[in-house]
Amino acid sequence: MLTAAKQQGKVLLLSVKYNIMRQMTNRAAFITNITFMILNNATFIIQWMILFHLKEDIGGYHMNDVMVLWGLAASTYGLSHIFFQTAYNLPDLIINGKLDSYLVQPKNVLLGVISSGTNTSAIGDLLYGYLIICIFRFSIVNLLLFTLFSITGALILTAFAILTGSLSFWIVKGDMISGNLHSVLLHFSTYPDGIFKGIIRLLLYTLIPVGLIIYLPVKMILRFDPFTLLLLLGFTVLIIFLAFFVFYKGLRRYSSSNLMSARI
Amino acid sequence: MKAIQVKNLSKTFKVKVKEKGFRGSMSSIIKPRYKSILAVDNISFEVEQGEILAFIGPNGAGKSTTIKMLTGILYPNNGEVSVMNINPCAKRKQLAYKIGTVFGQKEQLWTHLTPYDNFKFFGAIYDLADTVIEERINELKKTFELEEFINTPVRNLSLGQRIRCEIVASLIHKPEVLFLDEPTIGLDPVVKENIRELIKKMNREYQTTVFLTSHDVGDIEKLCKRIIIVNHGRIVLDDSMEHLKYHYLNKKIVEVKMKETVDFTAEEGITVLKSKGGNLKLAIDTTKKKINDALRLIDADNMIDINISNVPLENIITEIYRENKVLL
Amino acid sequence: MRKYIFIFKTTFLESLQYTLNIILGFVSFFVVLFVFLNLWQYIYADSTNLISGYSMEQMIWYVIITEIIFFGTRNRTLTGQMTSDIKSGTIAYNMNKPYNYIYYIVSRHLGEITLRFFLYLGIGILIGYHFVGGLAGFQAVNLILIVPVFLLGTLINSFLRMCISILSFWMEDAGPYHWIYDKIIIVVGTLFPVEMFPDWAQPLIKFSPIYVVTYGPAKLVIDFSMEMLWRVLLAQGIYLGITIIIITVMYQKGVKKLNVNGG
Repeated sequence: MLTAAKQQGKVLLLSVKYNIMRQMTNRAAFITNITFMILNNATFIIQWMILFHLKEDIGGYHMNDVMVLWGLAASTYGLSHIFFQTAYNLPDLIINGKLDSYLVQPKNVLLGVISSGTNTSAIGDLLYGYLIICIFRFSIVNLLLFTLFSITGALILTAFAILTGSLSFWIVKGDMISGNLHSVLLHFSTYPDGIFKGIIRLLLYTLIPVGLIIYLPVKMILRFDPFTLLLLLGFTVLIIFLAFFVFYKGLRRYSSSNLMSARI
Repeated sequence: MKAIQVKNLSKTFKVKVKEKGFRGSMSSIIKPRYKSILAVDNISFEVEQGEILAFIGPNGAGKSTTIKMLTGILYPNNGEVSVMNINPCAKRKQLAYKIGTVFGQKEQLWTHLTPYDNFKFFGAIYDLADTVIEERINELKKTFELEEFINTPVRNLSLGQRIRCEIVASLIHKPEVLFLDEPTIGLDPVVKENIRELIKKMNREYQTTVFLTSHDVGDIEKLCKRIIIVNHGRIVLDDSMEHLKYHYLNKKIVEVKMKETVDFTAEEGITVLKSKGGNLKLAIDTTKKKINDALRLIDADNMIDINISNVPLENIITEIYRENKVLL
Repeated sequence: MRKYIFIFKTTFLESLQYTLNIILGFVSFFVVLFVFLNLWQYIYADSTNLISGYSMEQMIWYVIITEIIFFGTRNRTLTGQMTSDIKSGTIAYNMNKPYNYIYYIVSRHLGEITLRFFLYLGIGILIGYHFVGGLAGFQAVNLILIVPVFLLGTLINSFLRMCISILSFWMEDAGPYHWIYDKIIIVVGTLFPVEMFPDWAQPLIKFSPIYVVTYGPAKLVIDFSMEMLWRVLLAQGIYLGITIIIITVMYQKGVKKLNVNGG
């Protein structure tokens, strides 16, 4: 069991390494992608400067807090897209029968699939996140917490992408649904939760887990709370198991399937 | 020992019927309509260990579906499959260590890396220790003459070299059965010959069982001792090459050049395919007329040139596709 | 001109086939709008009725209109399609056809977005009525004068996009420049009117594309004045002229480069 996990980890890292090497074959494009993503994220600083110029407190947040929120969102997104980019393309792989080549490998299919691609600009996101935390709230403890929450966030985000992406095993146009859910999650993740009320707020802590990816962690960076941390870790483990379960359930359908036209 | 055993295997696909236009796409979301296609229809066969088997048929005959069921990618609706005594759909991962796959047009290599790095990656996938991988790469490099380009990125290789590496990459874990889906598609004759040599060598050196699909009659003729032909999801022929030729090659084509025109139309068992001046092309049915009897009819003194040949395998296979029934 | 109208018509009719996909694409629009509306409601909640001279009702309509402009005109043809035409050298095949590639792409783009724009417009108006009700002081007659401003804004936006895409002649990947343009419009250009920026930044915004693409049209809807109309039209005229010149020159240079290098 342990050696199997070790082997799996080795393949995963090798896969990510090769992916990044591929992106680096064109050095100029690689560097522009990263720097422009950092600039791209930085434009939002202007937005918040103006908003806080109009009002000092928005949704219970001040400028520095929003920056931490933004930084965490960026590095969470970045981490997930560097390692598991293909989790976001699952619908395409499912619909067009492209999972086949992973099925003949003696490794975990899901891990093999999601680690088979990377996104260069995501490196810019990750860097931006760390830049922000260092500028606005630097301390060793914060840095450690920030890293921990980027990892849990990236895991939840990826699991969420797998869960929604797996819809395509069952539903026509599942790709549109998962794409939309993903963009909903992203849009909410860079605004303070205090501005949302009622049902929406409930949704953000359940069906669309932005609350667990971003809001709770940000609160913990501002004020640490061990109970919330346990809750967060528990949720992370749970959603990962759920993602594996649903994906493999779908995979059985894929293999016994009759849904594809391109697979005869 | 049998490498592959297949019994009463069937697979049905549901294909969505889509109507045109806005209304069509609306109704296909609410209530999609499907039609069933029987892609593989109750087929059974066995493959011995160390055998090279050709599995051929026209497009859409069910070849790829069968390969996918043998490798655990697809689950059958009915029937039993066992590859190296493993049931592919129950123990896919375990099977993966024993088989290798090359799907002709789909690349599995990382194109920006060198073949060497690729081999290392595949070695890691199959849990080989680094030292074992090194040894194996060295061995494969020598056997299949890859020294020249093992350190050149795959994208800079010629198509032939690339396919070579694709096949060798699938050998890194010493598979006992190798599935090759149209390995020579799109290659020029010299490269094709090269790849065939490689497959033969691999079969000889490692006793690898090879399950090959191809459209190229040359592949089949030069590599395989046994051939299975499928059409419309059914096996229409399962026979040794020799047997096939013996049964189907009861026709000989004789081309002769005579000093003057000779008329053979009256002879039983001889069909005149072409007659122009002294040039004649005859088909001789050897069940009706022995070849030596037929030759005796030709006046040797009058003859300028002669050429006797078999009916090309390609024609035989086309014939079998067309007739689409069990012939033997 | 006739052939460009024909290209427009054909692509427009084709787009009718994908109505369903457009509707499914609304979600992103809804969410952005929803977040912004919540943001403004929060900001307005316990402060005076006016911020920088805007009432909450005006502010929300402003956001809705600019979002319609942003989402309703977003299209891959100007970005991905054009870039891949240049990268793959397909553009060379288009050169010996009896039309101008630039105008061909613009006609196609407009054909593709027309249906979507009106769908977004309809939905946007519904959302606006639902959230804050009608707009006080809005007069339907003014629409006749505002429509050309919207059209010009859309055209300028298209040309600016093309200026970026055309960089692909010289650059490996023009994508990152599109992100920045996107962000300038959506982050800076749709959320607040010029008046809300700090004083030193206001002149900058007035000279930026934001003024002619989003601010101008939206401002005229929520607070019409003839003076403003002339000012926006003048700015749009200048922008249109400049972008057309830039794009024509860049296109010619790019094509020449393509010919020299043989694609």
